[in-house]
Amino acid sequence: MNSDSADHLLRVEDVHKRYGREEVLRGVSFTMERADTKVIIGASGTGKSTLLRCINKLTDPDQGRVWLENQEITGRRAPVNRIRSQMGFVFQDFNLFTHLPALDNVRIGPQRVKGIRRREATTLAQEALATVGLKEKAQSYPAQLSGGQQQRVAIARALAMSPKLMLFDEPTSALDPELIGEVLEVMVKLAKEGMTMLVVSHEMGFARTVADEIIFMEGGVILEQAPPESMFRNPQHKRTGEFLRKISDLYGESE
Amino acid sequence: MKKMALLVAALVVASGLLGMAEETYVVGSDIAWPPFEWVSEAGDYIGFDLDVMRCIAILEGFEIEIQDIAFDSIIPGVMAGRVDIGASGFTITEERAQVVDFSDPYWTSDQAVVVGIDTEMNVVTALSGGARVGAQRGTTGAAWVEDELEGRGVDVNLILYETYPEAIMDLIAGRLDSVIQDEAPSIQAVDSYPDQLQIAGVIKTYEEFGFLVRSGDPHGLLPRIESGMQKMKDSGAWGNLVEAYFGPTLDAIEAAWEECIDILLEEGDVEAYAQCLAERAAE
Amino acid sequence: MTAEIWSQVWQFTPTLLWAMLINVQLLLALIALGLVTGVVVALIEVYSPRPLAALALAYEWFFRGVPELVLLFLFYFGLTQMGMDISPFFAAVLALGFRSSGYQSQIFRGAIQSVPPGQLMAAHSLGMGTMKTIRYVILPQALRLSIPPWSNEFSAVFKDTTLAYGIGVVEIVRQARYISVRNFPLTLPVFILVAFMFLVLTYLGNWGLGRLEQRLHVPGLETHAKRGEAREL
Repeated sequence: MNSDSADHLLRVEDVHKRYGREEVLRGVSFTMERADTKVIIGASGTGKSTLLRCINKLTDPDQGRVWLENQEITGRRAPVNRIRSQMGFVFQDFNLFTHLPALDNVRIGPQRVKGIRRREATTLAQEALATVGLKEKAQSYPAQLSGGQQQRVAIARALAMSPKLMLFDEPTSALDPELIGEVLEVMVKLAKEGMTMLVVSHEMGFARTVADEIIFMEGGVILEQAPPESMFRNPQHKRTGEFLRKISDLYGESE
Repeated sequence: MKKMALLVAALVVASGLLGMAEETYVVGSDIAWPPFEWVSEAGDYIGFDLDVMRCIAILEGFEIEIQDIAFDSIIPGVMAGRVDIGASGFTITEERAQVVDFSDPYWTSDQAVVVGIDTEMNVVTALSGGARVGAQRGTTGAAWVEDELEGRGVDVNLILYETYPEAIMDLIAGRLDSVIQDEAPSIQAVDSYPDQLQIAGVIKTYEEFGFLVRSGDPHGLLPRIESGMQKMKDSGAWGNLVEAYFGPTLDAIEAAWEECIDILLEEGDVEAYAQCLAERAAE
Repeated sequence: MTAEIWSQVWQFTPTLLWAMLINVQLLLALIALGLVTGVVVALIEVYSPRPLAALALAYEWFFRGVPELVLLFLFYFGLTQMGMDISPFFAAVLALGFRSSGYQSQIFRGAIQSVPPGQLMAAHSLGMGTMKTIRYVILPQALRLSIPPWSNEFSAVFKDTTLAYGIGVVEIVRQARYISVRNFPLTLPVFILVAFMFLVLTYLGNWGLGRLEQRLHVPGLETHAKRGEAREL
């Protein structure tokens, strides 16, 4: 099994999570290959965010295993911090460090976690900020940036760690509609450049155009997993079709 | 066996010698109560209690280290073993005698009632009829007002202060009608304000001052203190110290002390020191 | 008060300033002890498992609940009785320092709790462990937020240093008393001078802390406390 998992970039196997009486995840398994972009969709409360957090152990799964390449993060003595440092995580509400300017927000990871020298870390951070189009905002504090800019800094912060995988937890849900575009644009660019991305999102336009595969979750399990065109055209489950129609009505299909 | 006994004997002697060489006792005093103890303008610890302790230490062959410590902290300090001897004008009371041991009395004091110079009050009116009486917290003067006046239904208004100078200042400011305090410091206060204060009268309470040590006297200090006091009285040194400290102004005492103290500390001559101090202070 | 009296007081000013130096030394030592201990206690209260956190709360409760003078006695006489030879100054530093840490820990606890939990998750997601998160994310924010309440504590503790004379530390109030019992007429002016010195030094201290706060000011940080509250609601 180990040699098998080494072939995948990410392997999630039978993950369960329970909060009190409610079982939020009831056995989720899937894999991702390098440069894959997968989008997880599903009604709220179906465990999408919990699943994402179980992958980098911000939440402890009750059962099941997760590997990044051949490193198992769920192992009892797993070097959790070292594995986390290889996975970027972008939060719904950005979670930038308030006391640091954009550049320091991005530099702190390489410098303090990886122990890269300040000058090199600064270069890395500047590059990452350039990637998200915010080079000129390097000295601005989070409070001086718009929501969209803050989220782009957060993406740069994850990027600067040169992650093998990026996890996005509803990255545009907290944004005003006119700011969503700039964030999606960055994400599309990353996907095209070959970043491996696992995205929880309601942005159907993004899912349709960028995702290699859409994962539809319901009731704590994966109900259906398929490339976007086949899922939209020909959903295997009745619930999938219903959900896709509802979500398209609600959010439209921009882009 | 004999060798062993010799060794033990040698050890006992040696430890005795060592013990004597290192025999330093901490004397705790609230050094803000002239003329019994105060800090001179030159910054020296000076006063009757302290000089008596210095003389006793020389006569009885031990070292002392004088430590200034708040009055209320001295007895706790003695009980805890932090302070070996309390020398701070302590009135011997039953309450205190339950937690510490006192030496024979070395001083008998009465309470003086200080009033303003312009007042018509006498001792009686200064302490009745709703008079505002100031006293230092924890002193016998305060206790006397509480027990003998308030306790017997006399209409007085007792106001307590941390130190008696504060009470005196309030008396001068007109916020008090009188201040009750030991006689010697009261005289000193009136000396400082001769045109504003006077002593209305003295209440004979005959309270006796003693030096105090930890209960049970673990270091065997009381016999040595008493023996030292006796030696001073026999030689006349005691009388000279009393003369030097009770009567002359503080300035005169301080000047005399600076002049004479080396006789005590360098030469260790108690008799000559006391004589020097009495003569110079009288000048 | 006549000019003559003030010229006499002027004579004692150097002596009083030297004594004030004792208060300042006491202040610096005890507030440093209180700061380090207070931060540690606050971190334990917020981040450690229940039993340890309860212990830290008990610590805070004890040192905030016992009067200063009693603490001074406990440390000075208590430690002596336990066989430790401790100087009055050091006992005062310990007693007043631990007492201050009880108050400071409350300041820091509030400040630490006002750092949004999302930022801790973000730090963890970068691979930072607890210690690094505390050092690089929590403390820089919490300490900045603590400066205004901390300057109150600074003033309060500065005044508390005068209590140390109770166990025999000859500090400024004690020195002033030496002067006043020796020179009755100087009592009031000497204490006015002492009050003036305290006011000036307290002002300077608070001014310095205010400058520090300005220098460390970060846009958006001061609103965190409010945002934290809003979230709890």
